[in-house]
Amino acid sequence: MSDLRVSGLVKRYGKVTALDGLSFEVAAGEFFCLLGPSAAGKTTALRAISGLERLQAGAIRFGGRDITEAPVQGRGIAMIFQTFALYPHLTVRENLAYPLREAGVEAGEIARRVGEVAEKLRIGHTLERKPTTASGGEQQRIAIGRALVRRPQLLLLDEPLTNLDAKLRHDTRAEFKRLHRELGMTMLYATPDELEALSMGQRIGVLRAGRMVQVGTPDELFERPDDSFVAAQVGSPKMNLIEGRSVRDGRRIALPFGELEGGPWAAALAAFPAGTGILFGVRPSDIVPAEGEPRGPRLASEVHLTEPLGDVTVLDLVANGVPLRMVLPEERAVRYREGDHLQVELRLENSHLFALDTGTAIR
Amino acid sequence: MSTLVSPALPQAPRPAPRIALWMVLGAILGALVVMVGALFLLPPAVGWWVALAGCAGAAILAVAYAWERHNYGPLLVAPALALLFLLNIFPLMWSFGLSFFAFRANRLAPPRFVGLENYVGVLSDPVVWERLQTTALAVVLTVSLQMVVGFLLALLFEKQFPGRRYLLILVLTPMMLSFVAVGAFFRYYYEPTFGLLSQFVRIFTGQPFILLDTPAGAMAGIIFADAWMWSPFVMLLVLAGLVSVPKYLYEAAEIDRASWWRRFRTITFPYIRGLLLLALLFRTIEAFKLFDVVFLLTEGGPGTSTETIAVYVYRLAFQYFRTSQSAALAYIILFIVIVLTNLYLYFVNRRAREA
Repeated sequence: MSDLRVSGLVKRYGKVTALDGLSFEVAAGEFFCLLGPSAAGKTTALRAISGLERLQAGAIRFGGRDITEAPVQGRGIAMIFQTFALYPHLTVRENLAYPLREAGVEAGEIARRVGEVAEKLRIGHTLERKPTTASGGEQQRIAIGRALVRRPQLLLLDEPLTNLDAKLRHDTRAEFKRLHRELGMTMLYATPDELEALSMGQRIGVLRAGRMVQVGTPDELFERPDDSFVAAQVGSPKMNLIEGRSVRDGRRIALPFGELEGGPWAAALAAFPAGTGILFGVRPSDIVPAEGEPRGPRLASEVHLTEPLGDVTVLDLVANGVPLRMVLPEERAVRYREGDHLQVELRLENSHLFALDTGTAIR
Repeated sequence: MSTLVSPALPQAPRPAPRIALWMVLGAILGALVVMVGALFLLPPAVGWWVALAGCAGAAILAVAYAWERHNYGPLLVAPALALLFLLNIFPLMWSFGLSFFAFRANRLAPPRFVGLENYVGVLSDPVVWERLQTTALAVVLTVSLQMVVGFLLALLFEKQFPGRRYLLILVLTPMMLSFVAVGAFFRYYYEPTFGLLSQFVRIFTGQPFILLDTPAGAMAGIIFADAWMWSPFVMLLVLAGLVSVPKYLYEAAEIDRASWWRRFRTITFPYIRGLLLLALLFRTIEAFKLFDVVFLLTEGGPGTSTETIAVYVYRLAFQYFRTSQSAALAYIILFIVIVLTNLYLYFVNRRAREA
């Protein structure tokens, strides 16, 4: 078991900067997700760690060894590609055996390991066929098998679910979790999909423009986003982010639908001068219909659109010209129709505040 | 009561076509009958003109038929078809017919039907087998040289390096030159007194070097010239295969710790296998007809050591004037080439199905 330390990675393609001083650490045996929109540098980071990409600056240490300059073959790292990259002219069995052929593993051991992996991943029936004849899900499992058969210390996964349909994605997510629990190897998983990151990652690193914005457990990222970018990336439906500014002594904020005070951010906000631009963030689940004793600020809104998602319904509200998203259990949402007027209450204690210019959390 | 009826537009009265389809078909059939009859019954000098007149008559009727119906498409294609027929199909059929007759183009004696005698004569002629052996040797040597050089060039040009574009244009140039230019170029190149090769050898031996003087040297000279011209063709095909290999396969293989040789065998080669086979067949077909370079460089010499079958056909036809025999031999060669071509097409189609 070994841990991965990545520090100050810089990679430029001509004028485009893919990695801009990326640093993070992955503990031994951890399932770590790199989350970020496309072109955030996830793939480049994985390719740099695998050795396929040469860096302009930075260091990669793996298991206490500096592998920044090590050849691809000598790193002991396996990788699963978004395209699967199965060898089309070899049978599935030959594909699975490929990483072992030149590693000095004897024939009997190769056959045994291939059989073992094929059984674990339920691809035994495809062994004698060409990978192109296998279904998408099978191809995915063959690609996983080819990476696992060599028993790597570190497994890199580059958006491995992107080419699968929604149902298969769900199943394969569970498969990855199961494999990680059973094999206990370090896994570094790049994905643009927060659902994948939140459901699988023990820790998640959020990437933006080649830099790490925040690293934390799914709960930490969800409850204490350091940055409005993280707040927008993590959580579904997305957090409502409303532009405003601080007023008077800096303990209150002015939003298009009124002034608010007394959030968890109030003390930190006092350090800023009045008139500072802010982003007020409140998750759709922290907006509720106003009933009984007021527990937070209330505002009038109109239901603009309802999106039933099965057990929950997303309501698109408009409050004084500001769009707000609210999520309600299905049985409570049925009574609201598009065009209805609705008094809602904000759970101010769960709200977030970010500086408008830098996006940094104020707390 | 006024209804809105637009006045009938004055329509140009379209005359009923005067020529019907049966007339055209009849004319073509008539022309065929006239042609066959004239060629067999009348003396050749008269029969030829009668046959031509019959054809012209049928053609004029067909043109008029299409013109009347404003059917200009076929009319526009017709000249090309006529030219093709006149220059390719007619001589082909004519020589096929001739191959069953005893005929010499430099004698006035009319063709005499002899059946398969020419074919039997040609196939039992030891000279023909000798020439076929020479041809086979030349084909094997030049095609293997082209394959090797073309393949290595493709491996080189698969990489990106400064000046690649310009070098590529330079390497492709020989393929685009005319045969005569290549022949003339190598004639000067091998020339004993001031040719580059001779001058170069003279530095070491002090003697002028006459490459084309020995059978082996002459063959080498021809092979080199032909391979120089056609290696780029093999390179283009192989290069197309090489660039079609997805880059991520190489990356996956690198991650999987595969050696260069193993990567080549399991990833690169399967992608270029089909194209290599195509290059091999295509070049074999072409090399089988090797004529121009041989004729320009050695004229088959010294002796007959480099006389390929194509050169021999030429000699039979235009130097020995055994016209009908040369036609028979040409048809045997055509048969071989057709077999090879069908093999080629079979592999092309199989590759298309695989893709």
